Amino acid sequence: MSEVSATKADFEPKIIAFFCKWCTSAGADLAGTSRINYAPNVVGIRVMCSSRVDPEHVLEAFREGADGVLIGGCHPGDCHYQTGNFKTMRRAAFLSNLLDALSIDSKRFRVEWISASEGRRFAQTITSFTEEIRSLGPLSRKRLLKESARGGNHE
Amino acid sequence: MKYSHANRLGIFICHCGVNISSTVDIETVKKALTGYPGVSLITDHTYTCSNPGQDMIRNKIREEELDSVVIAACSPSLHENTFRKTLEEAGINPYKLEIANIREQCSWVHSDRKVATEKAISIIKAAVSKALLNEPLTPISVPVTRKALVVGGGIAGIQASLNIANSGYKVILVEKEPSIGGKMAQLSETFPTLDCSQCILTHRMVEVERHPNINLMVSSEVTRISGFVGNFEVTIRKKKTYVNAEKCNGCGICIEKCPRKTDSEFDRALSKRKVIYRPFPQAVPNIPVIDGEHCLYLLKGRCGVCRDVCGPGAIEFEQEERFVKEKVGAIVIATGYETFPIENIPEYGGGTIPDVIDGLAFERILSASGPTGGEIRRPSDGKVPKEVAFIQCVCSRDPEKYFSYCSKVCCMYTSKHAMLYKHRVKDGQPYVFYIDIRAGGKGYEEFYQRASEEDEVLYIRGKVSRLYREDGKIVVEGTDTLLQENVAVRVDMVVLATAIRPSQDVSRIAQLLKASVDENGFFTEAHPKLRPVESMTAGVFLAGCAQAPRDIPDTVSGASAAALMVCNLFASEELKHEPTIAGVDEDVCSGCGICIGVCPYEARELDREKRVATVNEVLCEGCGACTAACPSGAAVQRNFTDKQISSMIKAILA
Amino acid sequence: MEISYYPGCSLKTSAINFERTALSTLEELGIYALELPRWNCCGVMFSQSADNLMLQLAPARVIMEARETGRKRLLTLCSMCYNTLKRSLLFFKRNGEKLKKINAFLKLEERDFSAEGVEVIHLLTLLSELDTSNFKMKIKKIKSNLKVASYYGCLLTRPREIALDGVENPQIMEKLLEIAGFQTVNYPFKTDCCASFQVVNRRNVVKKQIRKIVTSAVRNGAEIFALSCPLCEYNLDSVQQELAQEDETFTPIPVLYISQLLSLALGQDPKLNDFSLHRIDPRPLFKEKGLL
Repeated sequence: MSEVSATKADFEPKIIAFFCKWCTSAGADLAGTSRINYAPNVVGIRVMCSSRVDPEHVLEAFREGADGVLIGGCHPGDCHYQTGNFKTMRRAAFLSNLLDALSIDSKRFRVEWISASEGRRFAQTITSFTEEIRSLGPLSRKRLLKESARGGNHE
Repeated sequence: MKYSHANRLGIFICHCGVNISSTVDIETVKKALTGYPGVSLITDHTYTCSNPGQDMIRNKIREEELDSVVIAACSPSLHENTFRKTLEEAGINPYKLEIANIREQCSWVHSDRKVATEKAISIIKAAVSKALLNEPLTPISVPVTRKALVVGGGIAGIQASLNIANSGYKVILVEKEPSIGGKMAQLSETFPTLDCSQCILTHRMVEVERHPNINLMVSSEVTRISGFVGNFEVTIRKKKTYVNAEKCNGCGICIEKCPRKTDSEFDRALSKRKVIYRPFPQAVPNIPVIDGEHCLYLLKGRCGVCRDVCGPGAIEFEQEERFVKEKVGAIVIATGYETFPIENIPEYGGGTIPDVIDGLAFERILSASGPTGGEIRRPSDGKVPKEVAFIQCVCSRDPEKYFSYCSKVCCMYTSKHAMLYKHRVKDGQPYVFYIDIRAGGKGYEEFYQRASEEDEVLYIRGKVSRLYREDGKIVVEGTDTLLQENVAVRVDMVVLATAIRPSQDVSRIAQLLKASVDENGFFTEAHPKLRPVESMTAGVFLAGCAQAPRDIPDTVSGASAAALMVCNLFASEELKHEPTIAGVDEDVCSGCGICIGVCPYEARELDREKRVATVNEVLCEGCGACTAACPSGAAVQRNFTDKQISSMIKAILA
Repeated sequence: MEISYYPGCSLKTSAINFERTALSTLEELGIYALELPRWNCCGVMFSQSADNLMLQLAPARVIMEARETGRKRLLTLCSMCYNTLKRSLLFFKRNGEKLKKINAFLKLEERDFSAEGVEVIHLLTLLSELDTSNFKMKIKKIKSNLKVASYYGCLLTRPREIALDGVENPQIMEKLLEIAGFQTVNYPFKTDCCASFQVVNRRNVVKKQIRKIVTSAVRNGAEIFALSCPLCEYNLDSVQQELAQEDETFTPIPVLYISQLLSLALGQDPKLNDFSLHRIDPRPLFKEKGLL
């Protein structure tokens, strides 16, 4: 990977998303059953709860070539596992700071609360996030590679 | 590849008629995945969920000796369980299945065929890389203690206890008051049939006391609940009553001789009771208790008359409170309601004007066994009120100041109050201030019509804006929104239909159970429509007004439904539990305990000897929060391991 | 302590005794109210009652003046000014768009308007924040058995979001009067409207309201009214007089600003009160009660 000089218009961002099973993934399914079109740039990984997402997974996604990472969970107070999304909220704040420190614009990382009934909101979120990443352009990975060389793999 | 046993993986791509194949080019997908690491078979079918589709999957598994499977089809929420069974029938572990959702999250939301096909390939690749690492798992079995705890001895608790006990299971019924019966015992007559409440209730109370399967514990409270569905351990505090229930024969001479009186809670402070007392004559059990806050002997060491007159020697001033531990498999919460205290409603004269009372107090005035023997007399001077205003929706449907919800029973009981008042005070005039009349129920509308037409109850549609005393009368001002003019009626007594609030015990019990309550403090059900009597905590069921304001028929049917759910649980000797839960790599765990704080279910504990974290397999719900929080990577979520997530990320971005 | 002070129109004319007694009471308690160097009419209820942004200019200018002093709090005495300014402030806090529009308009004046950094506070709130023991110590008069009916009217407690006390049954005036050694009476109409500007062309409406309010207060033992609104004062004072002329059974009682009673209790010069501004002379009553 290098600092691609492609123009923003023909740049197709690659985005990884983590969806909790109970709310956001169900919201995505509703967008499907309602046939609401949205940007195809996001591929979702379904986890049981947004709190399953280790900050390391987000960093790994950036390291492996993602231009943006999205975490979708239940609305605060609605977590299927009582408090999982509050953990996500705290981790997200930490992660945003860390990303800035790594010179990755923290706008490339988003946490959204989308319920099982918010199919339209799901679609809008995906499209708007894709557009935001498109406007930010592809992620330069030089600095990140250096970081990862120091850090090593946690497994 | 620590958890990998897979080397023969099959991919089955579903066309879903044309739902998938019209936007996803199946042939291109197949081509792209041929030779993908670990994949030994890739095939497709028009409808994989159909019988022929499933047959095909089963045959291919056997023929090709597959040991893990990816099905690229619709959302896993639809057919994951179907296909798990298919795998099991074909002889491989059902948890070796992975669903790639290429319909809801791909073919249905993209119109460009090329784009959708590419995305489908990514989704399937991610599923493959996860499936290759899926472990074979077995659902976790948990034994069930077939004994239920029912908290609260009102009509909901009584009904649930009798239903469970009659099905042959043991029940412990815990009631905080000295008698069961709850609020229903305080009511005079019940709408819409005007049955006497006591008459229909007391025989059920007696049935509870006599039932061989019911252990009735009155003057008791649940103080601790631990464990989980099928295996709860509860601690019950037996409060001091100073009367030995084993010895007491219920003769009541102690009550007769007791020299001291205090306000009767049962009569809403409209009458006095003795300090040694039964809440009401038909109390079950028929054993008096001593009110320690007012007893002369207990306060000052003087008196002791009750002990002196008691034949069997049942009075025990030295009695201590006791704690009883019990194991139960299921819990029914029937803690009931309180009415919002009128002292907190100064704008309607609550607490300052003695002739402003609440609905329950009026029930006592109407009751033949009440403080006035069923004659309608007002509290301040015992005069018969010639004009009475009934105000509905006091604190209910009032989101600006109090509660936004409807208390549900007030429209009907106010109709009943006004009607019974008119029956007893022939020349009296009842006024009802209301917002709407909600008479949805069998015979309810007819009942309300009867009140307003035959019994000449004057219904005024509008809220009361102000209430004050003037010249010995209470002036009730409001707006008649139908006539569009302001009205003021001068009455002798006011009855407020105050909001139904969850009993104060709800928040305490909810904390003990870690069960959730809604914004109004009522217990939350697992699903408002399809699982209305289950709480958010497995094995805990809800009945009556602990969940929402309810009338008696709804309470009784809900309680029976809760009892049925308990019996359902008790019907099998063990429970099955999803195995995709957390585990611990003991070689890596440093025993730091971070996972313990993170776990919302207290499923995590520290093994003091080995100094490593453990997982209670039954309590763990498999959210994975501990796995993400673990700093060493010792916490693993089965079939959602870091390795699996990482390989999915790589597969998608490759 | 220093605080910015917005008088409003009446406080310099018909209610000059309100201003004098309020400021001297505050001074006695260690608070110096500094009048805004430039001010205009608060805009009165017209600014709140019509959906016309231009009408918000008057309160906006007052708020702007207050911001420019650098002091956070802005004191008002008149209930109407309090209500108008506080609601206007809230309006601009909630409507960013409207704020922008007003700012665009004010560009010509080269001033920058913002709803942040200013707080509108009424005399009653300011007094009730004070250390009561200090207040009590300064009370000079012996305990008086004068029975006072607090009259809030509508402007101090409505709408709820700007209410300076409970909406149904405010107690802030009663508490202050009791600290100052007066007896207070309770009556149901203390938050009823005095009928306000209806006095200009529908005097009958005002008469009906005033009769109801006064009769109820008197029935509950009131000998005098305490209030904080010059318009309420005018309506209660002048209409009572009229009612008394028409109906011999009607007994009018004097109407005073609460600060007048506090100033008397603090033993300040009665001249500050300028009792001649009141139509119903309170002096005989004060003499009878030993307050003069």
